[in-house]
Amino acid sequence: MSSFGFGLLCLISFTVPVPILAWLDRIWRKR
Amino acid sequence: MYAGHYAAGLAIKANQPQAPTWALLLGVGFLDVLFGIFVMLGIEHVSVTPGISPGFSLDFIDWSHSLAMSIVWALLFSSFFWRRGKAVALAVGFAVFSHFLLDWPMHPHDLALWPHSSIHIGLGLWRLLPVGWWWVELVFIAAACCYYVARGRSLWACAVVVLLHVVNSPWLAVAK
Repeated sequence: MSSFGFGLLCLISFTVPVPILAWLDRIWRKR
Repeated sequence: MYAGHYAAGLAIKANQPQAPTWALLLGVGFLDVLFGIFVMLGIEHVSVTPGISPGFSLDFIDWSHSLAMSIVWALLFSSFFWRRGKAVALAVGFAVFSHFLLDWPMHPHDLALWPHSSIHIGLGLWRLLPVGWWWVELVFIAAACCYYVARGRSLWACAVVVLLHVVNSPWLAVAK
């Protein structure tokens, strides 16, 4: 893997899960 | 550390529910977002080390991950949230700085005190425990998620964090 690819992978890894987790926190809160 | 950062973000959210979830979750990974951008721009350097845990060597990460810059990024990121109140801004700032605190046990002496400092710190569990680091991080994730769920929040968010940790395991990770 190139350095550029590693950086891109890191960027994706720390951005893509953010809206998913935020949505789960909002929608499926334990009642 | 990867998924553990998200677990920390969820725990901070449980402690400060008024803080925006997206800001906390982006905050805990903010140093690595910067790292990704800086590597692509050629400002910071990484090399892939197949067969040597964790599969890569962070050769120069001083601008995103040094102690001094972690504080600077935390202050800068939290400054956008002062209008929401001191507690929210502090929670968001702590989320950003927590990245440095949680990286310290894992990183092998690649965390500089400040950019271009000759002093680098890091306990180095990635190297000392090529597989065991994953279990150490899992214990932290479990503790953070227990706190988060005990405060009445989403079990599913924790499930996704655990899934991310499994994907990042020494057995499945892309870079290993």
